[in-house]
Amino acid sequence: MTANLDAAPSSLPAAAFLLPVAAGIAVLAFGRLGHRFCKGVALATAGVLAGMGILMVRRTLQGEILAAWGNELRVDALSALMVLVIGSIGFLTTLYSFRYLEKGELGKRMGVVKAERRLAFFYFLLLWFLGTMAWAAVTNNIIMLWVAVEATTLTSGLLVAFFWDRRALEAGYKYLMLLTIGITFALFGCVVVYASAAANAGLGGHEALLISEVQGVAGAIPPRTALLAVALLVIGFGTKAGLAPFHPWLPDAHAEAPTPVSVLLSGVMIKVALYALARTVSIFFPEIPQLTVFAVALGSFTMVLGVVLAMVQDDLKRLLAYSSVSQMGYVLAGVGLGTYLGYYGGFFHLLNHAIFKALLFMSVGAVVYATGVRKVSELGGLAGRMPITGICFLVGALAIAGFPPFNGFMSKLTVYLALAGSGLWWAVVIAVFTSILTMVALIRPAFRVFWAAPPPDAEHLVHVREVPMVVWAPMAVLALACLVLGVAPHMAYGLLNRAAQVLAAAGG
Amino acid sequence: MTELDLPAGLIRTLSLSMVITSVVAVEVRRLRLAAGAYAVQALLLVGLLLSYAQVNPALYWWAATAFLTKAVLTPWFLFRYIGRTQELEVPPLIGFVPSVVLASLLMILFFRLTHGQVELLAPSPHAQEEVFRTNLAVASTVFVLGIYGILSRRDAVKTVIGLCLLENGVHLSLVSLAPELSETALFGIASEVVVTVFLLLYVIEGVYRVFGTTDTFRLRELQW
Repeated sequence: MTANLDAAPSSLPAAAFLLPVAAGIAVLAFGRLGHRFCKGVALATAGVLAGMGILMVRRTLQGEILAAWGNELRVDALSALMVLVIGSIGFLTTLYSFRYLEKGELGKRMGVVKAERRLAFFYFLLLWFLGTMAWAAVTNNIIMLWVAVEATTLTSGLLVAFFWDRRALEAGYKYLMLLTIGITFALFGCVVVYASAAANAGLGGHEALLISEVQGVAGAIPPRTALLAVALLVIGFGTKAGLAPFHPWLPDAHAEAPTPVSVLLSGVMIKVALYALARTVSIFFPEIPQLTVFAVALGSFTMVLGVVLAMVQDDLKRLLAYSSVSQMGYVLAGVGLGTYLGYYGGFFHLLNHAIFKALLFMSVGAVVYATGVRKVSELGGLAGRMPITGICFLVGALAIAGFPPFNGFMSKLTVYLALAGSGLWWAVVIAVFTSILTMVALIRPAFRVFWAAPPPDAEHLVHVREVPMVVWAPMAVLALACLVLGVAPHMAYGLLNRAAQVLAAAGG
Repeated sequence: MTELDLPAGLIRTLSLSMVITSVVAVEVRRLRLAAGAYAVQALLLVGLLLSYAQVNPALYWWAATAFLTKAVLTPWFLFRYIGRTQELEVPPLIGFVPSVVLASLLMILFFRLTHGQVELLAPSPHAQEEVFRTNLAVASTVFVLGIYGILSRRDAVKTVIGLCLLENGVHLSLVSLAPELSETALFGIASEVVVTVFLLLYVIEGVYRVFGTTDTFRLRELQW
């Protein structure tokens, strides 16, 4: 059995997902108190969630594992990292959404009156979305992990279709449909893991549901059955994580959702799915070492396909969505290696991608807020009028392209080193090549939108002004984080070290 | 592991009928009939759960919730939705006769495959014995028929029915793989997708209002 010796009882794990759920109900019930109430509750809740993430990180750094409900909920450093990402990006996104939803896209696409009326519903869904993601991060029960991941689909599904027009409905339908079909494969995978852990490893029914228990007895599961389970889990959670070739829902959903939702989808949700994948599949790494090569190959394929599709986009949000696919490839390549350094690099890139992709989506959202358009070909020369947004976008683009001194450089370097350390030089070549393409894909539109001459008939660009502070402040915070984590990557060392150890120790 | 005293003949009949209902649900062009076939299948699954429940009383709970969600709520949502939109399915990619032939081929092939190679799915010798073996073969066949339905139909409602078939396949395999554990009931109840079906139909109704059709091939606004 795995060591539960250092598991300390705590109410933090339960609070992390019960609080947002309760706050969401409060917002829905008392929504008529006005939009200030809804926003205030949402912001406070997201802030508290971020605070809980920090608390969890501090306690896990002291070597503790927080457990609750008879090991049903279990927070180690990896879970703490996820809760921190969910909480902090959630907090900044909520802040960003305030003015954005009032004056921006929502008002334009739905009409201001209707938008006001649906604001309470928006924040209700947003809070539940955060809550279900936090639940996925803290649960130790394989079926509850599945339920939580499926619940994130349900809560975000209506957010994707929030505008309820042609584009939004199409995206929402595809999103719900493809993710649910995909996730049913994961359910099948979970069934196989559970049943074989009970039948072959002699675990009781309750233990067979707990990931931390199954981990210790994975060797008893016959390799062919394990392989079947892994294949099902990869299809299931991989669809949700945006891995190619299961990614087609992603650009539609990420582009058509209201921008704050895009930030959460790209910045947080696909990571939660990858987290679920890593948690479940890494159980079998020691038993079937060939899996790691397969995972790296899948990651490499995802990187290349994502970036190639990103390069041909004219729509800024679709471009960012495809680049998310590509960046998830890096995370998978790192995590899929199954080595300590691989996990470290993968989780580092997961954290960094959450930061700079949130930044990039927010910057594009700011451009849409100011101009009303999001096609590269219809934009130009915005740097003079929107200097802060311009700098933020550039920082994000440089960070995602892996330029020093930004954080993307550090995590990509770690992934390269991990791949090289395992002797997979072909993967290093693909990863470096993808990084160069990413540069082309992101820096070129950044230049076109902000510094090149505007297109000739660009009347929508005449009265453009910088976005209000409440919109750019979260962007500035994220841009600063990109720089800080790039210059001082050791700041994240303690947490990432422990998070990597969680899976590396379990996986050997 | 202890031998379970199960009504094998009854279980086999119920489970084989599930395959028939799957084919009907996928193939019939009248949506109400397809939804009806699905409801029948749900009842069969509930019957299976009840017969397993004789050795594992926890499964009575799952049988009760499955009856409510699969046999009552899901068909009710489907019927209500069909009443508000259109009665006849958007023509599928494949004509009726070739589709039936294809579905039957898939069915026979997959049934034989999983029946023969059951140890892949069922790691314990216990689960490889008869009744369980047939059930697992049926489960994977229902699953594959669900995938076939999703891939070959253009109508959004048919895709939802296909999704429900996937779900039933997984649940049947769950109860056949670990019928003696009380947690199996919890697993099954927790993984119910009735809320998803409701939300999907809600969005599809929006699609029907805005696009005037439930033909998924007409959803072409977003390309690349």
